[in-house]
Amino acid sequence: MTEKEKSFEVLMGELEALVAKLEGDELKLDDAINHNEEALKLISLCRLRLESASQKIEKLVRSVDGDWQEKTLD
Amino acid sequence: MVPSSEHTNTLSVSQLTGHIQHTLEDGFSSVWVKGEISNLTRHSSGHWYFSLKDNGAQLGAVMFKRQNESVRFIPAHGMEITVHGRISVYAPQGRYQLIIDQMLPAGQGDLHLAFENLKQKLQSEGLFDPALKKDLPKYPERIGIVTSPTGAAIRDIINVFARRYPLAELLLLPVRVQGEGSAKEIADAIDVFNERRDCQVLLIGRGGGSLEDLWAFNEEIVAYAIARSKIPVVSAVGHETDTTISDFVADRRAATPSAGAELIVPDHEELFARLTKMGQSLSRNLLHRIDRHEQRLSAISNSYALKRPGLLIEKYIQKLDQCQDRAIRVSREKLGISESRLESLRLQLNALNPLSILERGYAVLSDSSGKVLRSVDQTKPGNQVLVRISDGELAASINKVNKHKK
Repeated sequence: MTEKEKSFEVLMGELEALVAKLEGDELKLDDAINHNEEALKLISLCRLRLESASQKIEKLVRSVDGDWQEKTLD
Repeated sequence: MVPSSEHTNTLSVSQLTGHIQHTLEDGFSSVWVKGEISNLTRHSSGHWYFSLKDNGAQLGAVMFKRQNESVRFIPAHGMEITVHGRISVYAPQGRYQLIIDQMLPAGQGDLHLAFENLKQKLQSEGLFDPALKKDLPKYPERIGIVTSPTGAAIRDIINVFARRYPLAELLLLPVRVQGEGSAKEIADAIDVFNERRDCQVLLIGRGGGSLEDLWAFNEEIVAYAIARSKIPVVSAVGHETDTTISDFVADRRAATPSAGAELIVPDHEELFARLTKMGQSLSRNLLHRIDRHEQRLSAISNSYALKRPGLLIEKYIQKLDQCQDRAIRVSREKLGISESRLESLRLQLNALNPLSILERGYAVLSDSSGKVLRSVDQTKPGNQVLVRISDGELAASINKVNKHKK
């Protein structure tokens, strides 16, 4: 799964896990630097998601054959 | 039956009335009753006294000032009402009456009764069990909404989602929220979302209205649809004070539709601020970590040994020599111990050797078959014996046998 396909929840989950690891003291310096870099990347990705979000609103409408279809809500 | 003073079951009037009081007051401590008002007296003290009756019976009733102050209509003779209260026995007059704490006009009273009955039924079926409540997702991607497409509620809901969390997609399934058939539409909508499985949470509700207006959310069919939903459901019906059956069954309840929307999503500005803070604390944390490593590094590089590497090697060589010496010493000691131990064992063995006893002048006799003689009974005069002494053997014959007396 690429970063783009991951949901905000998944990204936040990964970020929180990384932060928890970084806040512990067990890490080697090398790993800490790598994790830190990764966490900062996730933070900016999450911020970007929040910034660029524009709400999509749809409604379900039953078609003639009885199936539900999504239509934009006006 | 002839009364008898010896009859042990005879009760006094007070005792019997006491039993009746106990039975009635415990048995009817919370009842809903429907009937017609008759002989109403509104006393100057503020208390109301009347009879509640129907075609077959009547019941004395009282509603005290403190309770009747919250009644929102004016009761009158002949009015059909529904009341809630408890039975109280007045022993001095042998009378029982209903002490009323809630009074509703009959139509509304029916709804209240239906509400209470259904609530009790569903409660006993376990639909309100706190253990069944599902957690809401932290960051829902898609939110299903079941409400009217025209009311104020949907506008409020969309506004809150847009302001707080534009990340989530909203999917409205428009339904009627009052009137005949509305409960079925709401229940079906919940089922449709459960078949689709594309939403992580459902918001069902409507704006405020009368008890009758909100009634769809008090119907069994909606309660069961919420209960069987695999997707967490938030019930947001009416205003702050309204409570519906759907509120009890839902995983979370909210006082209003807006409050329901707020419950479902995080605030994206708060999230933003949290992410910024997270980034700052990460950088601080890493700098701190690097600092600590730098300090350790400089402590090591300043050490005596690292400044003069030759010393370190000499130290190792010395240590190696010491180890070697020690290894040799230890092997020698072990070897010494085993040599002396061997000697002592040898001496010990020697002491037990019968040959060494012969050396001291003793002899061993055996008969012709080689059997050692331990008793004079084992031989007789004329027999051949073999005498073994320290440096050889002698062949001899027995001349005489002389046994010692014991």
